[in-house]
Amino acid sequence: MARAAHPQAMQPKKPGTTRTAPPKMPDGFPGKGRYRTYVAFETTGLIYLLMGFIILRAIWQLGAGEAGWNGVMDAYRNPIMIGFHVLALVGVIFVGVRFFWLFPKAQPPRIGPVRPPPAAILKGMLYSVWIGTTLVMTWVLAGGAF
Amino acid sequence: MSDVQIKKFVVTRFDPDKDEVPRSDTFEVPCQSDWMVLDALNFIKDQLDGSLSYRWSCRMAVCGSCGMNVDGAPTLTCKSPLSSYGDTVEVTPLSNFPVIRDLVVELDGFMEKLKAVKPWIIRAKEKAVEEGPYRQSPEELEDFKQFSLCINCMLCYAACPVVGNEPDFIGPAAIALGYRYNLDSRDEGASERNAIFRGEGSVYSCSFANECSEVCPENVDPAAAINQAKLSGLVDWAASLVLPRGGKD
Repeated sequence: MARAAHPQAMQPKKPGTTRTAPPKMPDGFPGKGRYRTYVAFETTGLIYLLMGFIILRAIWQLGAGEAGWNGVMDAYRNPIMIGFHVLALVGVIFVGVRFFWLFPKAQPPRIGPVRPPPAAILKGMLYSVWIGTTLVMTWVLAGGAF
Repeated sequence: MSDVQIKKFVVTRFDPDKDEVPRSDTFEVPCQSDWMVLDALNFIKDQLDGSLSYRWSCRMAVCGSCGMNVDGAPTLTCKSPLSSYGDTVEVTPLSNFPVIRDLVVELDGFMEKLKAVKPWIIRAKEKAVEEGPYRQSPEELEDFKQFSLCINCMLCYAACPVVGNEPDFIGPAAIALGYRYNLDSRDEGASERNAIFRGEGSVYSCSFANECSEVCPENVDPAAAINQAKLSGLVDWAASLVLPRGGKD
């Protein structure tokens, strides 16, 4: 059974004389069938919101000096925190893959006289930058730059 | 004579004079193997219940009249072979639209949105007839041809989760048809339309679910039009801030 849509959805500004049945949302929205991937994509926003709070808290605790920093490090070793970061990583990868899949169609047919490259090349460029950035970041975090 | 299989059709019924809310009727239809969903509805109308109301016309996926939800998915019923469905087929009116009667939905809201995006060629100054026609190269035609193939079947509106939640959202087909003129080399009204795209019910309401493009029977790809319109609307707005006379000639 589909959920009710907004009562004004697709209503004309001046309603006709015939009484109408109210609009329904698409079948399966939000939790079933074809909308699952989209809803999962949108839901990852909650993960980033939580991540933002965690980072803000960590920065706040740094104000307490070395003891604060050690507290942050201890908190990050907690299995729940590790699990959350694994979930965030999966979320980021999922969003990245979906974004790269949709990105080519959001390009205008031409910018001035220049046409964008074919979708496959655009996706290849995005994945290359992503993988390259990840490798550089991994190298930096592993101490390679210092 | 092709094979005949009995299928059960669960069809939404709504009579505004009698029913408070829509209900369902079930019909058993002897379906031939080469039938489309529309053929079964026509059989119900002709043989079982003449009061069943629905729209259809061309039977070849050109007129866009026979869009309905079949087993929950927005579908052109004249283009959907019954062989791809099970023994029970559920036919309901398109989602996100008010229902006038049975499977007939209210389209006036869409017509208002379509008119609002000015889907026609806008010229600052019309050429005189003796100056000849506006010429266009095949490459220039290719820029917008895909978006001009829309048949107004409303499947994209029925699939879009934003349309059902945000009544002001202009919606996929109207944006695709407006943006089609922005890409037309003969048109000079892009700034005017971009202002509409940025205004009430703007293109930025779209969260790129991409379902409009998934269900489009003509491969128009309205999601592409909407998201390209987001970028061109933004560029147009930025240009209006920095260029003399707001970037207008």
